[in-house]
Amino acid sequence: MPNQIDALVAAAIHDAKNALMALDTQLGEIERRPTSADFSAARATTGRIAGQLAELLTLYRAQGGQLRLAIDDHDLHDFIDDLLTELGPLPGNIQLDCNRDAADQLGAWAFDAYLVKLALLDALRNALRQARTHVALTLKAAPQGGLCFEVADDGPGFPAAILAGENTASAQGTGLGLSFARLIAERHATPAGKHGHVALANLPGANFKLTLP
Amino acid sequence: MDLRDKTGLLIDDMPEMRSAMRIQLTDAGLEKCDQARSIKEAIDRLKEKRYDLIVCDYNLGQGADGQQLLELVRRRNILPLSTAFMIVTGETGYEQVSTAAEYAPDDYLLKPFTADLLGTRLGRILDKKAALAPIYSQMGEKGDRTKALAACEALLANGGRYALDVLRLKGELLTALGRNEEALALYENVLQQRSTPWAEVGKARLLSLLGDDEEAKAHLQRALTAYPNYLAAYDSLSQLVEKTDKAAAQQIVEQALKVAPSTQRQRRLGGLALENKDFERAESAFRRAVEKDRTGFFKSHDDYSGLAKSCVEQGKTVEALTAVKDMGNAFARTPELEARQAAVECQVHVKSGNEAAAKLALEKALKVQQSAKLDASSALEIAQACFAGGRTEEAKAIIQSVAEDHNENDEVLAKAQGVFAQAGLEDEGTLFLDATKKRMIKLNNDAVAMAKAGQLDQAIEMLTEAADRLTNNAQIAINTAMALLMHVHRNGTSTDLAQTKRAHAYILQAQRANANHPRLTEISGLYRKVAPADAPPLEGI
Repeated sequence: MPNQIDALVAAAIHDAKNALMALDTQLGEIERRPTSADFSAARATTGRIAGQLAELLTLYRAQGGQLRLAIDDHDLHDFIDDLLTELGPLPGNIQLDCNRDAADQLGAWAFDAYLVKLALLDALRNALRQARTHVALTLKAAPQGGLCFEVADDGPGFPAAILAGENTASAQGTGLGLSFARLIAERHATPAGKHGHVALANLPGANFKLTLP
Repeated sequence: MDLRDKTGLLIDDMPEMRSAMRIQLTDAGLEKCDQARSIKEAIDRLKEKRYDLIVCDYNLGQGADGQQLLELVRRRNILPLSTAFMIVTGETGYEQVSTAAEYAPDDYLLKPFTADLLGTRLGRILDKKAALAPIYSQMGEKGDRTKALAACEALLANGGRYALDVLRLKGELLTALGRNEEALALYENVLQQRSTPWAEVGKARLLSLLGDDEEAKAHLQRALTAYPNYLAAYDSLSQLVEKTDKAAAQQIVEQALKVAPSTQRQRRLGGLALENKDFERAESAFRRAVEKDRTGFFKSHDDYSGLAKSCVEQGKTVEALTAVKDMGNAFARTPELEARQAAVECQVHVKSGNEAAAKLALEKALKVQQSAKLDASSALEIAQACFAGGRTEEAKAIIQSVAEDHNENDEVLAKAQGVFAQAGLEDEGTLFLDATKKRMIKLNNDAVAMAKAGQLDQAIEMLTEAADRLTNNAQIAINTAMALLMHVHRNGTSTDLAQTKRAHAYILQAQRANANHPRLTEISGLYRKVAPADAPPLEGI
């Protein structure tokens, strides 16, 4: 685990540095000629860096035995509303379809909204970067009991190494988001001993499923 | 939800944060908003006015925080359930806020946030409060739990998005009404669909109430592996474990304190450590309680008393006497304070071998005790001093009157048993308190038997004598009212308005003693049935 965290830290710093340079360019554009598209891009960049740093911090605390989940009931409609608000404006060429029918039937669910939101924001941002035209966010009741968030895009899909379970940096990202999602899925548990999990597939675009017990 | 016609109270100790927050609240649509800079100001405001919503910063300075303020005002019934309470916190405070203690905020918001988000979140909690208002209005001090339950049923019948919240309230109401089997069935039903911390803890409480402490403990332990932040589970577990293993209970409170700081849990830790003769830990816990809260709203006489005792047990007489003196500086002068200081001082002197000073202090404590009706903790402290000073009979007399007065209050009875234990009289204490309990049961039974045998006047006489002496005993007051109302009923409603008025007074006495007494509903129902039209009305029981 320590080595893995070190690798993630290095990758995240590298990514944050690039993101800050991109942000600098975006801010330069805004200074020259403010447009709402540039503002949106700049905010998306800051959102992404802040999210990654929060994820890293959580991984660090988990490593030191300091991470305790704060599980409480959350209304699922409210949660998805908050998630989409925080995600911010979408890139102009991509459409996000959100299917949350299951929220009507489930109502509320007990989970750590702060951590789950971080994981889903990361998955959504990733999907938005990889998608050609569509990203779908679907809320489902899991067949074995549990709550499932599914993020799917119509891009090239996950690289083979990631699908094989390797946690390496790739052209698609630092691997931080997946490590984080797996950690917090595993940490969500019931007194009966059920745990959450993450499942990846190419259908053929990337399909990310976060299931909470 | 339009916030324009809502009233709010903003609580934050930092002036610049307050004004920034005020601007955001205005942007979010909340125009009518008072401000408070401190715990004291907040409590004063809440006492004089009813707000729709409170926005409170987690960190309130002077060792105080928003969570402790929330617990304080809810427990003292200063903040009605219908008022929404939101805590605002930086990311570092998030874990401490989101711990779901017995009194949890309606929502919490992490800084920084936009006015839009603030408005959305406030709107949501106000929508929920409005939807649940029919239940809340019957859950307060003046509410009728049976009506609250009926409101739950009505809301559940309509379905709607707050069904789970309604079930949660319904579970609490059934438990409070002593309908244990129904409450357990409700929690089990919820848990069949999903696991959620409140239902796990609710189920454990019911298992314990139905007599299965072992299963309740095992259930809570499993719940804590899944929900390590859920303070209510630590609190319930430590209370159950304490019955048989005080050292283990101390460890559980230690764990809870790692989750979130709280003066109340420091006090509990100190008390357990003191009983476990872990004096060093007791001293540090009480010292933290005393020093951290510089507002004076959260600490109590118990903290200084515990500090003095844990110091003197380690031979630190000077520190112990300083704690007694500091107690006097920290609180308003009342007979309770005077009694406490003198009684603790006596115990310190006894331990350090200063007999003359001990005697003097004990005389002073006893003098206060004779001139004022003291609360149970102060009276028991004097009893403990009496034991220490060798005045065993006086100690027992005081304990007896406290035990009779608080006959149904397990917490007070456990404290009384603790006083015996401290004096090395654990077995005698068990017998003594058991006998007291039996005597009270007999008194009630005898009165009921007399009434049934037609000797109503004698029953009334016996009960009123006891009720006038034991003003904290809700059961006696209820039985007294019952006998008086039977008298009114038997002699026709027109005969005796005076008897009805007396019954009215005893029902109020019972409510003051224990607003949650399971028989209050029954007695108020009887009152409404037999009281003549010109009798004083019973409100909210």
